[in-house]
Amino acid sequence: MTETQPLLAVRGVAKSYGSVVALRSVDLTVQPGEVHALLGANGAGKSTLVKILAGVVPADAGEVQIEGRRVSVRRPVDAMDAGIATVFQDPALIPDITLQENFRLTGVQIRRVQEWLDRMDLGGLDFDSVVGELPLPVLRLVDLARALAHDPGLLVLDEITAALPADQAEHVFGVMAEWRDRGNSVLFITHRLSEVLRTCDRATILRDGRDVAALVPGEGGEGRLVEAMLGEVAAAVVESRAEAAPRTSEGKVVLEARSLTSLDHLKGLSLKLRAGEILGLVALEGQGQDRLFDVLAGNRSFDGGVLQINGESVKPRSPFDLIRKGVVLIPSDRVHALLPQRSVRENLASALYNRIGRWFSLARDEEDRVQKAIDRLAIDTRAGRQARRLSGGNQQKVVVGRWLAAGFLTLLCFDPTRGIDIRTKEQIYELLRELADAGAAILYYTSELPEIPLICDRVLVMYDGVIVHEHEAATADEATLLSAAHGLDEATA
Amino acid sequence: MSTTTGDLARIRTGAGWARWLRRNGWTAGVWVLLLVLVGWYASLIPVFGEFQIASIVKNSLPTAYLAVAQAVVIISGGLDLGVGAMMVLANSVSALYMEGQGLGVTLLIGIAVVLGAAALNAIIGWVIVTSRVPDIIVTLATLFVLSGVALMILPSPGGGTSGGFRWIFTGSTAGISANYVPSMVALGLPVAVVALWLRRTRPGLSIYALGSDENAAYLSGVNTRRAKVIAYAIGGAFASLAGLAITAITATGDSRFVNASNGTLNSVAAVVLGGIALTGGLGSVIGAVAAGIVLFILNPILTTMGINPNTAQVIRGALIVAVMMVAGLLELRRRRAE
Repeated sequence: MTETQPLLAVRGVAKSYGSVVALRSVDLTVQPGEVHALLGANGAGKSTLVKILAGVVPADAGEVQIEGRRVSVRRPVDAMDAGIATVFQDPALIPDITLQENFRLTGVQIRRVQEWLDRMDLGGLDFDSVVGELPLPVLRLVDLARALAHDPGLLVLDEITAALPADQAEHVFGVMAEWRDRGNSVLFITHRLSEVLRTCDRATILRDGRDVAALVPGEGGEGRLVEAMLGEVAAAVVESRAEAAPRTSEGKVVLEARSLTSLDHLKGLSLKLRAGEILGLVALEGQGQDRLFDVLAGNRSFDGGVLQINGESVKPRSPFDLIRKGVVLIPSDRVHALLPQRSVRENLASALYNRIGRWFSLARDEEDRVQKAIDRLAIDTRAGRQARRLSGGNQQKVVVGRWLAAGFLTLLCFDPTRGIDIRTKEQIYELLRELADAGAAILYYTSELPEIPLICDRVLVMYDGVIVHEHEAATADEATLLSAAHGLDEATA
Repeated sequence: MSTTTGDLARIRTGAGWARWLRRNGWTAGVWVLLLVLVGWYASLIPVFGEFQIASIVKNSLPTAYLAVAQAVVIISGGLDLGVGAMMVLANSVSALYMEGQGLGVTLLIGIAVVLGAAALNAIIGWVIVTSRVPDIIVTLATLFVLSGVALMILPSPGGGTSGGFRWIFTGSTAGISANYVPSMVALGLPVAVVALWLRRTRPGLSIYALGSDENAAYLSGVNTRRAKVIAYAIGGAFASLAGLAITAITATGDSRFVNASNGTLNSVAAVVLGGIALTGGLGSVIGAVAAGIVLFILNPILTTMGINPNTAQVIRGALIVAVMMVAGLLELRRRRAE
């Protein structure tokens, strides 16, 4: 070979889990010194390919070559020996031991981890901290620093930015560029196409377990990427997505918070949520939004202030108290909200189990409602026997569908589209809009600002435990929201 | 002012004694409880001196060793209901073959028993990771199997050992004296080695990692199957130490099933009381040792107070529940405060 020898060459790799085919046949070539994006809708096979490269699962067929030599990665250790270091979607740090002990466990040089952390503005991190006590974004960056300290020829990042606020994602991009400039390569998996356009030299796109295109992201832009990911028909839907016209809602107030306080997380927060509206909420990481949703869902109690549901003051002691009043939560962590080992149907029906007094009519009623939910959500039930085998997007549909089957009035969505592909996002947006039109009230927190004008009617910005800004969603541009989220223009609220 | 990455890094990790207490509070608490109970016992009896200390340390050896055996396995995310039977088997085998032998031979037999028990339990661990039959079922079976083997080897209580071997665990060739140093060394040395090994070495940390989050451990490159097998091997070794201690203390072997089942149940109780999470990954063998001694020392205290043995059982159980409840409430308060 006279041309540059590819760093990584994947040829005809296939993988099935039982009867579910995850990868049909995938080719992938990563050159030395490039940031290469791996793209695809949920269920396209990205995660499976990453797991094969990392030695977590064995491939059924095909081969993996590093610098022209065929390598056999059967265990994670083999991948590291071959020069592939992966930052997985699931955290790979052991929660109950300290960072120091984690580094010792993987035999990585602590000095080099420290160097990379310094570069990502995390130099002050105390290595005697127990992992479970640290916030998730920090752990993602530590995972990254640890992978880099192995000095891998190929760094694989599986949706590392999904859990990161914007300022920390910048650190990741900086490190990726530096790693490339040193002559190494990065395989970057993300759902945020703007990140791909900004940071990646080439992209390989997977659809239904095959590689359907390899292209340069800058040439043709987002449109071409979306088209390759979804096929032409679906891309047209995305084009027309911004057309749902938000209305000013005059529905009655179904949920009202007045001066809610909860330790130093909420400092006198007030908001009104009306029937028939989708109310957006935007905040940087750590402004109390987690606590707000915990309180509104009844998962934690509040110290002071008033919470009213349909004009009636409540002091919930558990989520059940609020679920009975029709207030339900859709968290970003789908696995926590599901019964992962039970079937899709059981998951959908689980919200009905509390309907005591309907014991005798439940069975038929249940079947009915569950089937309606499946049809309406277009849930792919091929892997339906255990909800944990579904892709992330399908799992989130099941979570929404459960409350759909149970019937509810008020929906609290906490970053519900995190890590979900565009096609499924579209379906979730559409579903939420339909629900709002039918009279439901929806509070929608998102870490992705571009979602706000797509789906919301109004938007609130939260900063340091209070609401600092309110805006019509249709005219809320990202710059305004961002500066408000940084606490810069409290006067304009 | 925005939240920077640097700010996030400093969230909640705290520093100094508060953090030490949060992480090691339970272990420290169990040792304090032990000291309080020893103090109480001292005030109940007319004379409390070296002889009494030696008696407590010596007689609590079997429970303390078993607590460590169970602790290592539970930290790895497993469970070994067979530890009591392994103890009885080691006791029976050693008493049978040590009878009439000198120190040298008895010592060799002792070492062989420990290595054999480690190997046997490693095989049991291997069966668990290979067959994917739940550990609770496999080890419930080994509880019966190993007890049965012990009864076949030594159908009725008997056997013996050398005076020198008795000294190693009891500080006296007669098994009874005021010299508490050998018993303390016999307990402290292996426990210290295992405690340090678990926290400072890669294979040791692998055991914590496995119990804490098996998936993350696997992704970190830990050989999870090997770590589990090693945990069971260490458990087997410590269970056999408990059996050897009984041989030294009583100079007989006793293979009755009730010893095996009581041993297993006490080991689980000690692990729970010692602050080790039954789900794995959390806690320390040091805490389990203190809890093992606490469970033992309740016997002489309650006997001295003239409480009948049946009531004493109720009190032991109630104590375990009470400690768990207090600890649970403290934890809840801590979480609320965050």
